[in-house]
Amino acid sequence: MTTIVRLIRAELRKLATTRTFLITLASSAGLAVISVIAIAAAAGKNGTPALGTTASTDQMLKLGVVCCVAMLVLGIIASGGEYRHKTIIPAMLAAPRRGALVAAKVAGITVAGLVLSGLTFGLGLATALADLAAHHIYHLPADTGRMFAGSVIAATLFGVIGVALGYLTRSTVAAVVGAVGWVLFAEYAILRTLAPQLFKWLISGTATVLTNPPAPGSTAPAPLTAAVVLGAYALVLLGIAARLVLRRDVA
Amino acid sequence: MLNVDHLTKRYGTITAVDDLSFEVRPGRVTGFLGPNGSGKTTTLRMLLGLADPDAGTATINGARYRDLPHPARTVGAALEADCFHPGRSALEHLRIMATAAGIPRHRTAQVLDLVGLAEAARRRVGTFSLGMRQRLTLATTLLGDPGVLILDEPLNGLDPDGIRWMRDLLRQLAGQERTVLVSSHLLAEAAQTVDDVVVINHGRLAAQGPVAALAAATSTTRIRTPDAELLMSVLARQHITARLAAPGTVEIRGTDPDRVARIAAAASVIVLELSRHTDNLEDLFFDLTSDRAMEVSAS
Repeated sequence: MTTIVRLIRAELRKLATTRTFLITLASSAGLAVISVIAIAAAAGKNGTPALGTTASTDQMLKLGVVCCVAMLVLGIIASGGEYRHKTIIPAMLAAPRRGALVAAKVAGITVAGLVLSGLTFGLGLATALADLAAHHIYHLPADTGRMFAGSVIAATLFGVIGVALGYLTRSTVAAVVGAVGWVLFAEYAILRTLAPQLFKWLISGTATVLTNPPAPGSTAPAPLTAAVVLGAYALVLLGIAARLVLRRDVA
Repeated sequence: MLNVDHLTKRYGTITAVDDLSFEVRPGRVTGFLGPNGSGKTTTLRMLLGLADPDAGTATINGARYRDLPHPARTVGAALEADCFHPGRSALEHLRIMATAAGIPRHRTAQVLDLVGLAEAARRRVGTFSLGMRQRLTLATTLLGDPGVLILDEPLNGLDPDGIRWMRDLLRQLAGQERTVLVSSHLLAEAAQTVDDVVVINHGRLAAQGPVAALAAATSTTRIRTPDAELLMSVLARQHITARLAAPGTVEIRGTDPDRVARIAAAASVIVLELSRHTDNLEDLFFDLTSDRAMEVSAS
């Protein structure tokens, strides 16, 4: 077995043997289900689209943000937690080639991203289908598959961004507060309204393109372009983090 | 075999390790001693590839740690007693380390048994006492059945039984021709464990060699005599440095007492009393790490 395969297996075992991954998975899946039920219950009331319309079902399936935030936090904990608990020392003693260690961490979080976002979106979709079926509605919007795939891609890239931020800061608390604050508050709450032309090219802007259905008359980039831009953000941050991990003394 | 050759590490204007050279031989337990901030941990970090030296080299069996083909199976190292995720069980911690290092899974049960943690294998590490964490740390280092062991303060947090157990285990491992380097600030305990010492102070080598030989090299001969000034001048002619410890008492360090007695007799110096005072490891440590200390080497 090659070094990188061993290290990826070790990373997956790390994720599977603490409560963090399970709690994050349960939280995101639970939020997805609650969100779908709440939107279905409110459909057709106070001017909201009626249940079964494309607009209503799309609203139910805007689950990408839950997946993305969960993976951002999980990525930060996966790498920053190594410094917090000092497990980075035995990890680097077992694998002194630090580049392989970072690559394995990214591979591990990618697998976690696929599982978490797949299950979260899948469970949300199943809930929506059940709710619609209870109302004798048996069709889904045409872009459901694209939203599913977009959510998985965006969440996985958010996990990689989280890994990079954890390595950069070596502090899970600082990284989680900073990253979630930036993405949800600075970008999503402020810049989306004040500077929409800038927002669409930022981290949460490109993620929104991937996870949400296109708005009528939207000037947002195409999904492929958004995926490339979001991937570029992840790669640049990961490159800076890896460079630091390779050069920095472990204290 | 560990080799540290002219190793230097600077942090800004502070030189943590300054042109340090020493070697650690297999088959012996070597104590790595020095006051807090003397550069012990920095040296160990450079030896293990966790920090890059500004100058010099630190090698294990002739290679840098990161260049070893199977590092975890060559070197078992522990720098801190608390490098565990508190939510993970001891068994899972070891399985992760074994997976990452390519060590067979059955070794995890073997080392847990060896360090006396078999019954606590599935308990979360967060519930462990410091002594249990020390044992788990040692289990981690022994996973790969390495020929070289590097342990930073392994006696910390152990109760008397634990210290005796650790001492016996380290001696047993050295008896199997493994290279064992142990840093410790518990000098009385270290004295009963180590065969050789490497003492550093302000990042520089203060002494290295077998404990007994170093103690002899730094032993003091004390002579009570009414001819103290005559004795001191005679010794000075023989290039032996002596000092007047008290009126009528001359003290000489590091010189064979038989030789001193013969010089005194040849000069017709009246000797009322001649005694030899050998330092224990603690005295030796304080002598070597005081500001007036000189570099001492004994083989």
